[in-house]
Amino acid sequence: MENQELENGLKAKFKKNWRLFKQSKLGMTGLTIVIFFGFLAILQPLLFLTNIWDEGTYHPVVGYDSEQISRTVVECPDEYPTEKYNTKEDCPRVDEVNIRYLKAFGIDAEVGDSYLSNVQPAPPSSRHLLGTDSLGRDIFSQLMEGSQVAFLLGLISAIIGVGISTLLGTAAAFYGGKLDTYLMRQSDLVLMLPSLPFLFIISAFAELKVWHLAVVLGTLGGLGGSVITIKSQALQVKVKPFVDSARITGGSKRRIMFSHILPNVAPLALLYMVFSVTGAIASESVLSFLGLLNIDMSWGIMIYLSQTEGFIFTGLKYWWLIIPAGLAVTLLAGGFYLVGRGLDDVFNPRLRRR
Amino acid sequence: MLTYTIKRFFEMVIVFFLFLVISYLLFNAIPGNAFSSLLLNPLLPPEAYQKTIEAFGLDKPLLERLQLYIVNFFKGDFGYSYTYYPRTPIDLISERLPRTLMLFSIVNIVAFYTGFLVGKILAWRRGSKSETWITIGSVFSYTVFYPWFALMMLWFFGYKLDWFPLGKFLVPEKWYDSPYSSDEVFYTLILFTTVLSFLLFLVFIITRGIESIHNRRNARLFGLVVLLFISAIYWTNGEAELKRFYAADIAYHMILPTFTVTLVAFAGTALLTRTTMMEVLKDDYILTARAKGLSQKRVRDRHAARTALLPVVTSFIFTIITIIDGSVLTESIFSWPGMGQLILEAVVQEDIPLAMATFSFIGVLALIAHFIADISYAFLDPRIRIKSES
Repeated sequence: MENQELENGLKAKFKKNWRLFKQSKLGMTGLTIVIFFGFLAILQPLLFLTNIWDEGTYHPVVGYDSEQISRTVVECPDEYPTEKYNTKEDCPRVDEVNIRYLKAFGIDAEVGDSYLSNVQPAPPSSRHLLGTDSLGRDIFSQLMEGSQVAFLLGLISAIIGVGISTLLGTAAAFYGGKLDTYLMRQSDLVLMLPSLPFLFIISAFAELKVWHLAVVLGTLGGLGGSVITIKSQALQVKVKPFVDSARITGGSKRRIMFSHILPNVAPLALLYMVFSVTGAIASESVLSFLGLLNIDMSWGIMIYLSQTEGFIFTGLKYWWLIIPAGLAVTLLAGGFYLVGRGLDDVFNPRLRRR
Repeated sequence: MLTYTIKRFFEMVIVFFLFLVISYLLFNAIPGNAFSSLLLNPLLPPEAYQKTIEAFGLDKPLLERLQLYIVNFFKGDFGYSYTYYPRTPIDLISERLPRTLMLFSIVNIVAFYTGFLVGKILAWRRGSKSETWITIGSVFSYTVFYPWFALMMLWFFGYKLDWFPLGKFLVPEKWYDSPYSSDEVFYTLILFTTVLSFLLFLVFIITRGIESIHNRRNARLFGLVVLLFISAIYWTNGEAELKRFYAADIAYHMILPTFTVTLVAFAGTALLTRTTMMEVLKDDYILTARAKGLSQKRVRDRHAARTALLPVVTSFIFTIITIIDGSVLTESIFSWPGMGQLILEAVVQEDIPLAMATFSFIGVLALIAHFIADISYAFLDPRIRIKSES
């Protein structure tokens, strides 16, 4: 009976909070983005399982597909700009081939013919929605793999980080004294640690896999600034009358801490969790962009490849190599950030409009 | 105030020692021998090999090595860099550190100021269309994947429009018959910028007391024009005139990195200011100020923004450290030869003495920034001082 009442109370609270969250446009936008990428992450294994996608063709790392594309044969002019092309880099376009290039290989063709050949990187087509990279691997599939990595890493590190910081923060507030001083100095130390160089050094001697990185990032985040914030929140809860009454009725210290203070700190902790996902995704992408992570495929690696292979400075000619990965990191990190903002509106009444 | 400063200082010293110990243990934890790449390095002559073993006490137990490392840190002795053999890590750092400091102190100041300004306006115009768009823009630049963004900026402004050089510190062709070394010119540039920004700050402080907003703006504009005039005189006279050409070359290379980092860094401050401003605007004293009939701008700038500044300053502590972090990326993308590039290079090439030295120095830098921010925070918010003194 009592349980059911509690359940109903929780449900009502959740409903109310959901209504408040729905009011914040930014929060809803963020949620949509996060759900979209979550859908992408789940979709890829499903496509492989149901054999809609063949692993040999669509595998993000070892897949290969040679696509026959017919391109128009053109002759590139000697001087630029001309009517059709602005600079030397514009000719030939993605769907064109230079006749001089064909002649160099001893292939007979005339200007205006269509020439059928394998092309990598291939532009987007119905077979490969976002084209292929220079090794003939499907970009869309890579994007999906990247979102799996991002979700895995973001969620693991956020859960570890928030677990640590909530526990330590409440303990610091509740017990105070020496423990408090120690924990605060410790978070000072972690805060001043230059985290990127620190991760570089770790990656220099340890083969960092995704979940290793998640644990490291989670621990660093959990020991850092969030302990201070959660402690200050817990201090506010600690002086509330219901904690006193719990103490008077004979609640043990542990019980007061875990069943009275922790639930009241939880909303703020949730907020921190959402925000820390943003940081974790960015850190992973940066490390794999610099080539310091031991993983096969992620958004960072996609950008790393497009940079080292020299496609970045071709501008928008090979846009499918440059734009999707960078945009995906930005959007997912931004999505989590916006969800955090929406939750902020719910849990922090002072921010509401009325 | 003084007691607080001293107390913080001692705490910082303890944290600093802890940091040194942890960073040493970190390098010590590298599997095998952290210095084993030393054995394989053909560039190092036997003396250097002997010197490194002595400097780090590699034949002694861990505790003694640790002790030796801390002593050596204060002596500035890190042995030799493996990759730049005859040069020592301290030598390299003293060359690179000013470049990083210059670039990122400019970015920090500009980003903080613009971020605060934008955030203030955002909160004030809550609900308007411009607010939505600027917020979306700030969220984008706050969460954008930085290396990607920097590369796109480099492509657009450096390659497509060809307005700025593609990274690097200077154009070597221009420096062939230069009578000055690039560091000499760069120090002049640093000195000039420091003095100029100090004077600018003074102008702001002095004009702060002017009551009428219109007059204040005019006075500041006048001060700015005078400062520009003075700097024009400086660069057209004496030795500075000879250095002008070379200084301009370096400054020209600085524009794009500064602009890019600022664009990314200002958003965090702007978004935070927006939030705190919104909280402050709900307070009763804002209502009172409005009811008194004060002008909108006055309520915004004098009553709301000043209170909203406090949490923003706290976050600034964190921002400094993230920007130092970000220097690694910025410098490797724009090929700016600073500390960040040095540490990346050292780690990738397993140049352990250099990596140790740079890591400790970046830590010290972060610590000093942290300390200054803490003190200025206590200066701004009397509550903290009083709490710590009682």
